[in-house]
Amino acid sequence: MATLSIKNLHVNAGDTEILRGLNLEIKDGETIALLGPNGHGKSTLLAAIMGNPAYTVTEGSITLDGQDVLAMPVNERSKAGIFLAMQYPSEVPGLNSADFYKAALNARREQPIKLFEFYSKLQKAYAETEIPFEMSKRNLNEGFSGGEKKRNEILQMKLLNPSVAMLDEIDSGLDVDALHVVAREIEKQQQTGTGFLVISHYARLYSLIHPTRAAILVNGRIVVEGGPELIERIDREGYEWIKTEYGVSVEKEIGKPMNDMSIGACGTKVKVNG
Amino acid sequence: MAENNDLQFIDCLPVNDLVVPEGETLHLEMAFFSVLPTGELKIRVKKGASLEAALADFSIGSSKLNVEIALEEGATSEFHLAALGKGDSVKTYIPNAIHLEPHSESLISSYGIASEKSNVSFLGTSSIEKNAKNSATRQEAKVILFDKESKGAASPILKIADNDVKASHGASVGRLNDDHLFYLESRGLSEEDAKRLITLGYLKPIASYFADESLRQRIESEIEGGIYRV
Repeated sequence: MATLSIKNLHVNAGDTEILRGLNLEIKDGETIALLGPNGHGKSTLLAAIMGNPAYTVTEGSITLDGQDVLAMPVNERSKAGIFLAMQYPSEVPGLNSADFYKAALNARREQPIKLFEFYSKLQKAYAETEIPFEMSKRNLNEGFSGGEKKRNEILQMKLLNPSVAMLDEIDSGLDVDALHVVAREIEKQQQTGTGFLVISHYARLYSLIHPTRAAILVNGRIVVEGGPELIERIDREGYEWIKTEYGVSVEKEIGKPMNDMSIGACGTKVKVNG
Repeated sequence: MAENNDLQFIDCLPVNDLVVPEGETLHLEMAFFSVLPTGELKIRVKKGASLEAALADFSIGSSKLNVEIALEEGATSEFHLAALGKGDSVKTYIPNAIHLEPHSESLISSYGIASEKSNVSFLGTSSIEKNAKNSATRQEAKVILFDKESKGAASPILKIADNDVKASHGASVGRLNDDHLFYLESRGLSEEDAKRLITLGYLKPIASYFADESLRQRIESEIEGGIYRV
């Protein structure tokens, strides 16, 4: 149980300002659907909260139950309870998955986890995410399909049991069965009181995990916040109505075209350059 | 009838040049834990013979090693090298393959980690001589710079003097991948631990080329110990 509070956040990617004074609060156990057109900063927000060094926070604050998140290095943010399921999880050659998970668990414990305890925990997580346990012997994400990588992120979320979990397009690359597995595991995690900040382009995932609120990110700011009915409206009508109702003209892109670093979710190059 | 031979050298180089006789296979394991003498290793792979060689170097101090693998008709050779540079040592490896006759094949693959103020260089040349048609060669080298003051070079060279051959090379020298580091750190690992785990992954595969179980274990623990001492 925790409250993540973001105030007046300004974030640059290189020389381009992506987030321009963003405010958002995720209270105890809430699930927020983060919506918005491509290239407006949704993934940037998640990456900045986690502390991705590719982004620079130039102004504003992020706090978790009053603790200054921006003052923490990435690993401390994780240990404080923040989790990010990456849009494009890296393949790390030579790094055994199970060894990595053990190191991640040990990083947040005084005494190293006992082997038996670790393996029962690991087996349970693999079974629940319906990933063959054999995959724990493989190198981290190496040669995994898109869907396997995404389920693997959920597996890590379960192992680390965060207080705030951020999911960046966790549903991309998942077939229908896998989507249901992922949604079921998210729901279980919600029941433990974990707060969620979820980016998805599809109402399908949201319909399964029942967000308590929705926030729409346009031009680097949250311009509309409301109930889950916003998700359905955007699914139906797109983002045009924001212009007429809120007088916010939706920019085609923020700043210059996205460069080739993995700026994450919504930096679809096709749209930006086309 | 092909015969198999195994040779193992620990902390020393073969005194004489090695010859793999016609049609035979030589499995050569070399591991250096305390010292790698500066020197030269020459191996002749005769007609239709094959060489499988692995070299793991965790020694302290500087050294320069020249390797020359000469291949006759239909000979094949694989040479895998892994090195960990420590302290302010300068380690230079020059693994060369020379294709003298047709239908010969060679692979040289070198992986290095330069830590602290060390300098690790791979400067091998794979050459296909005149008349060595239909030969195939690959020379690859990769150096990871672990610390700010570490240095490295990877310059695999190809020299081709005939047609109808296959030749390729690959090289990289660089710091650890930022995306990988961020990914590991986002799960709670400190930057140092993330660097160590990733580095382990680069070196560990060398152990699989050692058939001797106890030596393989020694290499694995040396890799882990070496990385964690850094």
